Amino acid sequence: MKGDNCVAIASDLRFGVQAQTLALDFEKVFPMGPHLYLGLPGLATDTLTVRDRLKFRLNLYELRESRKIHPKTFSALVSNMLYERRFGPYFVEPVIAGLDPVTFEPYVCNMDLIGCINEPEDFVVAGSCTEQLYGMCEALWEPNLKPDDLFETCSQAIVNAFDRDAVSGWGAIVHIIEKDKITSRKIKTRMD
Amino acid sequence: MALSGMTSQMSMTPKFQHNFMGPDWLHAEHSTGTSIMAVEYDGGVIIGADSRTTTGAYIANRVTDKLTRISDSIYCCRSGSAADTQAIADIVAYHLEFLSLEQGEPPLVETAANIFRQLCYDYRDQLTAGIIVAGWDSRKGGQVYCIPVGGMLVRQPLSIGGSGSTYVYGYVDANYKDNMTREECKKFVTNSLALAMMRDGSSGGVVRLGAIDKTGIERFVFTGKDIPKFYEG
Repeated sequence: MKGDNCVAIASDLRFGVQAQTLALDFEKVFPMGPHLYLGLPGLATDTLTVRDRLKFRLNLYELRESRKIHPKTFSALVSNMLYERRFGPYFVEPVIAGLDPVTFEPYVCNMDLIGCINEPEDFVVAGSCTEQLYGMCEALWEPNLKPDDLFETCSQAIVNAFDRDAVSGWGAIVHIIEKDKITSRKIKTRMD
Repeated sequence: MALSGMTSQMSMTPKFQHNFMGPDWLHAEHSTGTSIMAVEYDGGVIIGADSRTTTGAYIANRVTDKLTRISDSIYCCRSGSAADTQAIADIVAYHLEFLSLEQGEPPLVETAANIFRQLCYDYRDQLTAGIIVAGWDSRKGGQVYCIPVGGMLVRQPLSIGGSGSTYVYGYVDANYKDNMTREECKKFVTNSLALAMMRDGSSGGVVRLGAIDKTGIERFVFTGKDIPKFYEG
């Protein structure tokens, strides 16, 4: 979600196989830069593989360019990597949230599994309960929220959405990215 | 997708229609993918269930009451297709009320269980219903009868059912003791259901308990903080 000079990105912590829950500490949101976070919901093995392969490409970029990547460029990097596998894709639907490293302008985008970028002005959602998430975000989000309000909005949206999904939940983590700091908080949720 | 993957006895296949577009909750049938349990104690029975009904992965009802009245002292715990079990329970309740009027005395738990069995067995190809019948009568006291999908009937001191039960067979086997008191039984059922709800995606919500003895039923609900917590690592 976008806020006033800040962005928030959140995920649940469940790892499971269909109805069975196997782990409660599986984070799906990874830092890719000082103000750049990437969420990778979907098949767990592809979550980890895409994260690692992307980090590799990102490192090479930063070595060649000697600067930190901009969020929009990073999206293009992710999109390119996913489209390379057009006919045998990675089963992840990335969500990117970050601040431009120079202007600190908020940026969010999401993609489908073959890299089609969607770059709205408000919020993006992905996962198994996107319908519920869209409903919650549409109802709760408003523009120019301050970091504390953005945290509250983002938390309520994700928690109430996955409480209506049988295969999501079991804990949540929210990261608030501001110009000078990143705050990550785990939320106490229903564990069912 | 999480539909009620039931116990190994209950082979449930997700009823997806491949010619339907859109998310599965538009066309998947309601299922009480579930954790249910009933335990006998000296003087009555404790019955318990979770409160989640799903259509596909969407939680259609998070405060369902799966402990359904058949008569004042006989209740059933429902798992499987929500529609099937509701319909069967209604029919059994009707038959039992009629019988008890004819006979002039309160119905027997064994009678209720047998009517359930007759319906579940005769229509076994068309139904998906895993039911636990439990109650009290003056002849045999507290009784628990388990009727899994095929329509078998067996009386047991303790029975667990639903998709969530698979996760607690070990806990239940290790912690059940003969001749528990009513309070010990309540704690045992609550703990088992809490563990099942934690692991099973198709179970969750609140823990509903019922304590049935000769005076009738006393109901309990455990929500949020009151549900026992275990290892959450």
